[in-house]
Amino acid sequence: MVKFELEGTERYALESYQWLLERILIDMGITTMVERVRLIIRPDQTLFIISMRIKQAGSKRPVSDIADMEAQEGGTFITIKDESYAPRLLASLWRMYGRERVQQLTRLEIFVDGVPVEELSDLKLDPEEEVRSQLLDAMWRLLPEGLKVRNEYYNDNVMTIVATEHGMTVDFLAEAQKVHSSMVQGKGED
Amino acid sequence: MYEVLMFDGGVHKLEEMLDLIEDIGGFVLQRIQVQVMVTLTIAIPEEDRPLIERKAAELGGKIIEVPLAGTEIAVVGPTLGRHHMPHPICDIAEHLRRYGAITIVMGLARGRGRKTCQISAAEKAIIEEYDAAIFMLGNFKECVTHEKINLYKDIQVPVVVVIGPELDSLPDCEALVCGVGRKVERMRRSEEIAKLEEIADRVKEVVDRRRKEIEEDPLFVHPSEVKDALEDLDAVQECLRPSPVVLHVDGLRVKIPYKDHVRELEEVEVYGHKLKDIATISDCRLGDSTIIRIRTKAEVEGKVLGCDRP
Repeated sequence: MVKFELEGTERYALESYQWLLERILIDMGITTMVERVRLIIRPDQTLFIISMRIKQAGSKRPVSDIADMEAQEGGTFITIKDESYAPRLLASLWRMYGRERVQQLTRLEIFVDGVPVEELSDLKLDPEEEVRSQLLDAMWRLLPEGLKVRNEYYNDNVMTIVATEHGMTVDFLAEAQKVHSSMVQGKGED
Repeated sequence: MYEVLMFDGGVHKLEEMLDLIEDIGGFVLQRIQVQVMVTLTIAIPEEDRPLIERKAAELGGKIIEVPLAGTEIAVVGPTLGRHHMPHPICDIAEHLRRYGAITIVMGLARGRGRKTCQISAAEKAIIEEYDAAIFMLGNFKECVTHEKINLYKDIQVPVVVVIGPELDSLPDCEALVCGVGRKVERMRRSEEIAKLEEIADRVKEVVDRRRKEIEEDPLFVHPSEVKDALEDLDAVQECLRPSPVVLHVDGLRVKIPYKDHVRELEEVEVYGHKLKDIATISDCRLGDSTIIRIRTKAEVEGKVLGCDRP
């Protein structure tokens, strides 16, 4: 269950945006990944702040944990053991070495051209990376379309976006920073 | 005065219904046939409605009220971005179609935001070609009451405003419906459907008011009579666009290019008068269409008298 904290000048706006976010998260299937959300909406100042804390989804896993690697002539042959990591591993390899050098031979077999086993053993997969990008998408869907001037703060498990229409003021940024740090420290939690 | 109704029935002995409509001086505005089932949208003289109802019962069909038939309504959102589309704008447009209206969905180029929202003269002119407009103005009270009202302020057709927060009234609009803000899913819950009904009711009231205003100085001919005459044109018969002739409260939209067919349209005869004498024919702002606004009886008769004077 996502815990919401609402603050602002218009009750309807706050409640409707909470409802919107809940529906967006359900639609994207990521409700269980969000722990806490804080919304500050002040239409009179054209200020919208949203801060989200995601649940810890485990630490980074080395590739050697999820796949067997074998040195072959001209590269490394990878056999994936944990299927759930297959898309993420393939996407990481494509990003690092390019599509020409990474061949997906079968569903769980990959050959990486010109890369030694040692180099791949050091690679670590971040399970939260995907979650973060999905949450960012959810926040972008939620933010009012007209509030184009945006600033964001993020660390491992908290993301905060402050949005306004014309010019970002120092006060808005300071408020967003304060919200962000309170979410990081978990202040106001039961 | 003509009344627009919908007949829902089968093809068996349908010609009897069609003959009756013709005999009483009515028109078939639209005919949709799916296998053996037929839906006819008809315009008939008000006083002959019992005849049509009796015939419909005899044929095993039914007569459905379509209070918005013969109108074209624009549903306008701040933009066409995913924040506002397809819900709830398309839900509203779809719901109004159930009452017989032809609806279009429109997004403004720069309608989003608080201080930055604006509407261009071209957009206003496009909206004014419709019988009524529904404006969706979002969830923020402050934003709606201070800035967004300027979007529809100068529009010359009736405007129904739909917003999220509860307000008693808003200036410059004919009707206001509260409780429908941004949505990310279809409006299918009972309370949401009730809101759609409320919007349809407000639109019906607005259109009825407009029709009553027209009745005070009635049109020279009913738009469906002009439609009947236009349907014989080759250009209209060859037009592949859906509903090539769309009825408005005070005229029609013909979906053939103005510049190619204006002469032909001007010469169309309706009860012995050329169309150019009883209507204003103009180019449409949106696509290759022509807008026909029928003049009132007073305008046409006054003009004829004026011409006859030495």
